[in-house]
Amino acid sequence: MKWSQFFNTSIGKKLLVGATGLFLCSFVIVHLAGNLALLKEDGGEAFNTYAAFMGHNGLIQFIAWGLKIVILIHAVIAIQLTFRNRTARPVKYAVRPGNKTSSWFSRQMAIMGSVLFIFLVVHLAQFWWVMHYGEIGKVSYGAVTEVGNLYEVVWFAFKEPWIVILYVLGMVALAFHLIHGFKSACQTFGLNHPKYNGLISFIGVGFFGIIIPLGFAVIPVVIFFKQIS
Amino acid sequence: MKLTLKVWRQQNSQDKGGFETYQVSDVSTDMSFLEVFDVLNERLINEGKDPIAFDHDCREGICGACSMYINGRAHGPWHETTTCQLHMRAYNDGDTIVVEPWRAKAFPVIKDLAVDRSAFDRIIQAGGFISVNTGNAVDANAIPIDKVDADAAFAAAACIGCGACVAACKNSSAMLFTSAKVSQLALLPQGRPEHQQRAEDMVAQMDKEGFGSCTNTGACEAECPKGISISNIARLNREFIGAGFSSKA
Ligand code: HEM
Ligand code: SF4
Ligand code: FES
Repeated sequence: MKWSQFFNTSIGKKLLVGATGLFLCSFVIVHLAGNLALLKEDGGEAFNTYAAFMGHNGLIQFIAWGLKIVILIHAVIAIQLTFRNRTARPVKYAVRPGNKTSSWFSRQMAIMGSVLFIFLVVHLAQFWWVMHYGEIGKVSYGAVTEVGNLYEVVWFAFKEPWIVILYVLGMVALAFHLIHGFKSACQTFGLNHPKYNGLISFIGVGFFGIIIPLGFAVIPVVIFFKQIS
Repeated sequence: MKLTLKVWRQQNSQDKGGFETYQVSDVSTDMSFLEVFDVLNERLINEGKDPIAFDHDCREGICGACSMYINGRAHGPWHETTTCQLHMRAYNDGDTIVVEPWRAKAFPVIKDLAVDRSAFDRIIQAGGFISVNTGNAVDANAIPIDKVDADAAFAAAACIGCGACVAACKNSSAMLFTSAKVSQLALLPQGRPEHQQRAEDMVAQMDKEGFGSCTNTGACEAECPKGISISNIARLNREFIGAGFSSKA
């Protein structure tokens, strides 16, 4: 089988969704680690310095563009598979088993993924676009001069209750997507072994499903309450 | 017991079909699910009506012919049990039971509850074999096989091709069936020579038949009457990835 045929099979496409999904999983770890600097009340020094470094390092810029392409590949192939799966059952059942035979999370992947996609569009427009192409105030910290004050933009955005709610909902969708997504990607790559299944579940549910989304969700909530008090 | 059965009736693959409701009384808890249909069909025949078509053969859980989607569950509510082995003690007096055929584009309805599962035959024909000369049976111990592998191959070979995995899957995916057929051979030395070609050909045929793709929900494993594990799907994925890298054709 040629690679072109391979990636046109159902398994080949699933492998692309899984590989891009795992890449995105590794991205969210790095992204969260950097974002935690937003919680420092240092006038934005740590966060803005970090954001300026990310914005100017060539390799990181390359990865950042790759990331947007990866999200698109992931979403497009996943949606394509979802439609194919829908047409595989033209007449639906009158009675369905609900959660008796599969987990709720595992059946909501396309929905949660789509919510995430909408969230990502809003999120990128709000911060990434403004940082790169919009009007942004400049600040200097000692050796670091004239960097964009993204810290201020973020703090300003999270004064607005509905934006905070949107971010929390986005992270709920991320949690639900990854509770099944990480385990599912491992299975797609053939990683299913009694010695490691416990660990895979723990990482998928505990780390990607709870800790990471919770870490992200805490940021807008804390910033909101700090500003109203 | 008295039961209300809502059964899917459909003249042929072109007919739109719909549910018919039947009251059956004097159902004994010792009866099998199919026996209730036998009794009901006898009555329909006596009334000059068309009996309900459904597949069955062995009635002892080994052939895979019986196939009913009962109250939202493939082969009914009992774990690792085929429809023919489901007994009426699973139900209470006055229950309403909805019975539907397996629903999948690749399994078109022939009539009522009987569906055409020849797509499975074609997946097996695409690669579910080993190319050896038949003739005298070879000595069983001529090729040493690890007990663990032999047991795993045997567990995969327990698949009876009933199609419950497809029926239970929200994507109508045939991955559990195909993975069982690939695994039972891939695990044994006799199956190794053709293992990569087999994985590629069987997956290609599976896609061609119009089954959906796997999203690892695990519904197939939960409903399989033979307890086929989704670890077989992981093995099929490994076989397929390996074939992608180094198959000869
Ligand atoms: C940060 C963002 C995202 C991450 C980390 C992520 C991660 C993952 C992972 C790990 C999988 C499992 C792959 C597999 O089953 O082999 C997956 C599957 C999937 N993702 Fe995403 N994803 C993200 C965004 C999206 C978006 C934006 C969409 C849709 C528009 C989406 C839709 C899907 C769908 C439909 C599946 C397949 C469902 C299944 O196999 O059960 N994802 N994702
Ligand atoms: S894997 Fe199980 S459910 Fe699927 S065809 Fe085989 S025996 Fe039936
Ligand atoms: S009739 Fe043979 S398995 Fe049910």
